Amino acid sequence: MTRLGALWPLARRHDLGWAAAIMTAFAVLGLLPVFVQRNDVLNFVFLILLSISLAQSWNILAGYAGQVNLGHAAFFGVGALLARALWIAGLPIVLAMAAGALAATAFALLIGVAAFRLRGAYFAIGTLALAEILRITIGNVLPEISTLPAARIAGYRLSERYYLALALAAVSVGTVAALAASRTGLGMQAIREDEEAAEASGVSGLGLKLVALSLSTALAGLAGGLFAYYHISYYPSHPFGPHWTFDALLMTFIGGVGTLHGPVLGAILYVTLKEYVALRWVDFHLLIFGALFIGIVLLLPGGLVQAGTRARRLVSRRAAKP
Amino acid sequence: MLEVHDLHVSYGDIRALSGVTLAVGRGEIVALVGPNGAGKSTLLKCIAGLLRPRAGAIRWQDESLVGVAGHLIVERGLALVPEGRRLFAGMSVQENLELGAFAARARGAQSANLERVYALFPVLSERRRIAVRALSGGQQQMVAVGRALMSRPALLMLDEPSLGLAPRLVASILDALVEINRAGVAVLLVEQNVQAALTLAHRGYVLESGRILGAGPGPEILRDPHVRQAYLGPLAVAPDAS
Amino acid sequence: MRALAQQLVLGLLIGGLYGLAAAGLSLIFGVLKVLNVAHGELIVLGGYGAFWLFTLYGLDPFVALVLVVPASLLLGIGLYATLFGFVVRADEETRIKNSLLIGFGLALALQALAVRLWTADERSIPTPYGGAALSISDLSLPVIRLLSLGIAFGLILGVQLLLEHWRWGKAIRATAEDWQAALLAGIDVRRAYLLAFAIGTALAGATGVLVTIGYSVSPSIGLEWTLKALIVVVLAGLGSMIGTFVGGLLLGVAEAASAAAFGGPYREVVGLVLFVVVLIVRPRGLFGR
Repeated sequence: MTRLGALWPLARRHDLGWAAAIMTAFAVLGLLPVFVQRNDVLNFVFLILLSISLAQSWNILAGYAGQVNLGHAAFFGVGALLARALWIAGLPIVLAMAAGALAATAFALLIGVAAFRLRGAYFAIGTLALAEILRITIGNVLPEISTLPAARIAGYRLSERYYLALALAAVSVGTVAALAASRTGLGMQAIREDEEAAEASGVSGLGLKLVALSLSTALAGLAGGLFAYYHISYYPSHPFGPHWTFDALLMTFIGGVGTLHGPVLGAILYVTLKEYVALRWVDFHLLIFGALFIGIVLLLPGGLVQAGTRARRLVSRRAAKP
Repeated sequence: MLEVHDLHVSYGDIRALSGVTLAVGRGEIVALVGPNGAGKSTLLKCIAGLLRPRAGAIRWQDESLVGVAGHLIVERGLALVPEGRRLFAGMSVQENLELGAFAARARGAQSANLERVYALFPVLSERRRIAVRALSGGQQQMVAVGRALMSRPALLMLDEPSLGLAPRLVASILDALVEINRAGVAVLLVEQNVQAALTLAHRGYVLESGRILGAGPGPEILRDPHVRQAYLGPLAVAPDAS
Repeated sequence: MRALAQQLVLGLLIGGLYGLAAAGLSLIFGVLKVLNVAHGELIVLGGYGAFWLFTLYGLDPFVALVLVVPASLLLGIGLYATLFGFVVRADEETRIKNSLLIGFGLALALQALAVRLWTADERSIPTPYGGAALSISDLSLPVIRLLSLGIAFGLILGVQLLLEHWRWGKAIRATAEDWQAALLAGIDVRRAYLLAFAIGTALAGATGVLVTIGYSVSPSIGLEWTLKALIVVVLAGLGSMIGTFVGGLLLGVAEAASAAAFGGPYREVVGLVLFVVVLIVRPRGLFGR
């Protein structure tokens, strides 16, 4: 346990700086709707904020607990599903979102114990399969498009969605910051580095992974609720689609897995890049985006954040690579 | 033939070897002894191309081996029998041996070498088609040595061949090494069985905590009081008495 | 009863293609320890290759195999040289993460490319003999699908024999088992990786052709086929091409049975459920070593 304790001050100092910077940025963004009335700008920033929340939620499980969850969209979808239903039925959106998050977490814990028996790649593809099962089932059970009733459409205020997105983004960043500095978070990182060694030191692998899973899926569920609140109409199975998972994954990786600021930077870059490419090269945008993306992964396997540390650290040559 | 000079190897931040220098000459048997974790395996893996050193030189017949890919090092005439044998479990004895002759230098004489290995280890000859996972530890070690021999090496390196073997089998493996050496192959032997290794070898090195503590003719090292105390204990037989 | 038997037979016929798709993925995953999630997209490309050759030159799709398979082999070599060759430089865990990412980017790019070249519409190959069917007792077996099954099996058998008797096939198996030991035996592990990846991609291309012949192809079926292949790989385990083929047949039949029992829309679900169950209960798979 002393080894973990030694890590503590380091984590705190580094992350607190970033947390402060990010929260300040959020505070500034809070003033945006006052000065900018353009919907396209607000929508763009909304998308970034939603992406930050989704990426941070994925980051908790992957970056801190070291588990690559490819079924993340399932929890996003569950959150969206329940929140939408409850909100349309009359419940205030915040409560509806909370209910959605609760449902997502409950579902996660249900399958979590079994799922965590899988390691590495098997956990990744197992969770992907689970999410696909859910997507297909929802698609079969609710094939009709979900559209807001006229009254809701009339009362639609983009600024409300915007502020909710801002709040959620702040919550997700705050959660990760608190986690990183906490004992629990350090335990998770120990699991991520070397599960066997951590267990030998008395850290409970499964317990911490479930905690990480709960936080991760709760945030994802909230993000799903936000999605449901934002869109006027969509197919219920849409938020269960794998591209939501991959987007979160990419953003986190680009920015740097396992860091506080990684998903934030990654989300900003990713969304901006995607929108820019989509506008500039309408016909080819997915093609170019895919190619760009491969380039980023190839050049910086750890993400943009690693680029900084790589330059500083002396690379000690290890095992021969094939 | 083989010259290692001031080699430094690290695993991340952990220093495994700090300035190791040794040499193996033509036709020699050189033993490398030392405690667990001294870095003996690391040294062999580095020479064989499985690890990259941080600094230092490895020269083989005046050419540098650093940075050369593992299979090309085999092409140049060095073969390693790794710790734990690491055979291809699902394949037969014959298939394992044949794979050892994958290198171009060995392909032409494959059948001749195969017969030579079977002559060296007759018990394998009766088990050619049997999957190696069905063999005993001693027999597996023979396959491992045989596989390395199939590449027609000029230098044979072995990492703890006696590990987990009964004394009788250890003796037969070591006898085989003497015979191999007599045929002109130099041997670099890493062994925990210090007595056996140093009795067999022409020269020896003692490696402790990543550093060479001593070097000299085999019997001389056996007589060294530090070596005797650290590795041999009260029951050790002095070399002159054998 | 007859309807059920008919459905099961049809399931068997597509199962062979699941097996072929899985064989390619299994080879790549087993040897390189790399998960190419763009495998389905490579299948799609193979299918479009056959479609193009038929539409532009009137080439019979079965004959087109002779062109598409070598082309896919070359594509595999190219992809390894430019992309996956870099992924294998990391340790196993990082490899899987990186290959997932790169595979995803590749899938995105390839899918977009397909839409660009052939639009998002479904395409099929209307051959004159396409409708022919063999009648055995009460069952009607589409000839093209029967032939495809035979070809799929033949290809898999061929690869199995290659792995068992070809010098480089043995090298590939050795590399899959223990790449360091293989290196020490004098095997150029990088070349073994390249060959395995190329052969795996060639199998994907062949799958695509057969899929387009018997069914249809569109840019969006990529992920679906990647998942099918993954499911079969997990079901059957690594290490045996024939085992993978049988696993594919099993999946096909299981899907047909579940569609008969629960209705069409849930056809996909049974495979995924089986997948998760096998993963948890017996990760080695049914035939894996």
